[in-house]
Amino acid sequence: MLERQIPVVNRLGLHARASAKLVQLLAGFKAQATLVGAGREVNAKSIMGVLLLAAGQGSSVTLRTDGPDEAEAMAAAEALFARRFDEES
Amino acid sequence: MRRALAGVGASKGLALGRARVRHPHVLTLSEETIAADAVDGELARLDAAMQAAREELSGLRDRLQGQLAQEIGEFLDLHVLILDDPDLKAGLRDLIQTGRYSADYALKLQRDRLAAVFQAMDNDYFRTRLDDLDHVIGRVHAALHRRDDDGQLGLAGEILVADDIAPAELAELSRQQLLAVVTRAGSPLSHSAIIARGLHLPMVVGCADALSHVNDGDALLLDGRDGLLVVEPDAGDLARYRVAREKIERKRTQLERLKRAPTRTRDGIDIGLYANAERREEIAEALSAGCDGVGLYRTEYLFMGRSDVPDEDEQFHAYRDAVLGMAGKPVTLRTLDLGADKADSSGLALRNEPNPALGLRGVRLSLSRPMLLDAQLRAMLRAAAFGPVRVLVPMVTAREEIEAVRARLQAMAARLRDDRVPVGDRVAFGVMVEVPAAALTLSDYADLIDFAAVGTNDLVQYLLAADRTHDALDGLYSERHPAVLRLLHRMFTDARDAGLPIHVCGEIAARPEDVPLLLALGLRDLSVHPGAALEVREVIRGADLGRLRRRAAALLRCRTRAEVDRWAARTAGE
Repeated sequence: MLERQIPVVNRLGLHARASAKLVQLLAGFKAQATLVGAGREVNAKSIMGVLLLAAGQGSSVTLRTDGPDEAEAMAAAEALFARRFDEES
Repeated sequence: MRRALAGVGASKGLALGRARVRHPHVLTLSEETIAADAVDGELARLDAAMQAAREELSGLRDRLQGQLAQEIGEFLDLHVLILDDPDLKAGLRDLIQTGRYSADYALKLQRDRLAAVFQAMDNDYFRTRLDDLDHVIGRVHAALHRRDDDGQLGLAGEILVADDIAPAELAELSRQQLLAVVTRAGSPLSHSAIIARGLHLPMVVGCADALSHVNDGDALLLDGRDGLLVVEPDAGDLARYRVAREKIERKRTQLERLKRAPTRTRDGIDIGLYANAERREEIAEALSAGCDGVGLYRTEYLFMGRSDVPDEDEQFHAYRDAVLGMAGKPVTLRTLDLGADKADSSGLALRNEPNPALGLRGVRLSLSRPMLLDAQLRAMLRAAAFGPVRVLVPMVTAREEIEAVRARLQAMAARLRDDRVPVGDRVAFGVMVEVPAAALTLSDYADLIDFAAVGTNDLVQYLLAADRTHDALDGLYSERHPAVLRLLHRMFTDARDAGLPIHVCGEIAARPEDVPLLLALGLRDLSVHPGAALEVREVIRGADLGRLRRRAAALLRCRTRAEVDRWAARTAGE
């Protein structure tokens, strides 16, 4: 199992479009993915779960991946956060 | 049994028909359990409904390709993701398997669990994602109850009873011969109500008891003028209905006679009466009502409810049809004005802006998509070769925006001429004044434009900081607020001083009781939906402009809406 703390740096935070990208990305991996933030732990492959975190900009979340491709899943997710979900010019 | 329900009239007209009830997305069900041997069947029922909802969403998505549809499509994608949410689905299955709840009740329980968390959020944006969940749950719920014959029946002879209705739905329903609409929510100022009036589709909104007291198949009598709805009308109602119908027919005959009469006040002043029109039938109606031209052609009409963005040629053909349809009278073509209240509520709304009313809309959107703007302007210039065209730019705030669009218009005209494409000689260029900043500074940019159009619907909304579609703000949003009247007066005066033609194309211009106020404030040109043109002409023909102008000072001194109302009553009574 891997666990990383990831800062939320894009302007709007984990809003609907960003959450959708994260969920779609993680759906492509076998590993289970869990997102923890503000005392709540949710399935990172569940869009409603991720939206429930209501993680705005400046917050930080912890991502846990667990499974055969956990390293790849973690790397891909971290890269997506770092790219600000490909949404800002 | 007869029962009378009260609502608010949003689009006048009488209708007698059969109720078609559409239940809202948020479920109000009582607890429903099932037998152990029914669990598998119930799970299959849920799966089938979710599959049907998924197909509907992807169907909508497929019809939405193209650049403008991209952001709209993202919301549909979000809804598909919610539908595919593994936790949501597992929760529903568990409620059915372990809790022995019906699929309907499981949907409600699962929705309410999540709703409780969303509603407790501080952040407005995340809290309103509950709407997306409700939209998806509502779709699945509707799919659980869809009968095979639904949607195949026409709507002839039916009156739709619904929680709310999206503007885009109305045109389609009207084409299917729907008689009238009743909604529980909504306001007579909503975009849906405006569309209903344009379609001559009687509509009652804000009828709180409609969904709880009307059943599918009930006979309904609806009066869109005073917002009255009678369920299972009795002999007395029907007799009154026949009398009222005859009266409407007589009134119509009387108005028909005004088709060829000049729009001239009693003291002999000619007033310009234009039409807000896009569809072929509306253009034809405007011409037959003797309108002086089209004062507002909303080009977004071409962009909605389709799978791609219309290219220059397609736009050109549509604009040319309108120009030819008006037989030499000017047609005012407004560049794309997509905004929050024009997107529909069925999940296609441009909702990923924190504050859409103050966001990227109107000319701001056009300037951010230069290719789209250029194609629109070229299409308009080409249409102008077939008759007088006026290009109208919505939602301007600053002189720079006007300069930018004007420069594009001139560049496009030069380019078309270089390519030997026929272009109109004189294309008037104007702006829509609907942002208070633009209203206050009219004389600062009057040199850049040939005319101005006042969009009172948005202007009033921005001036009073009151959403015109907000249920609870009905009293606050009012064109009769003294601030609105003083601002209009200032604009009419500034325009006259600058020698600039100005017309009002908001809803106020089509309201017979408000027309005298506009004339008193100095307005000389109005643009109304074609269905209202004759009634407005009748009011103008009965008005004494000199007297109204003399009473303007008293109108401008009013301090409250009530004082304005009294001014209007006194003016009408004398």
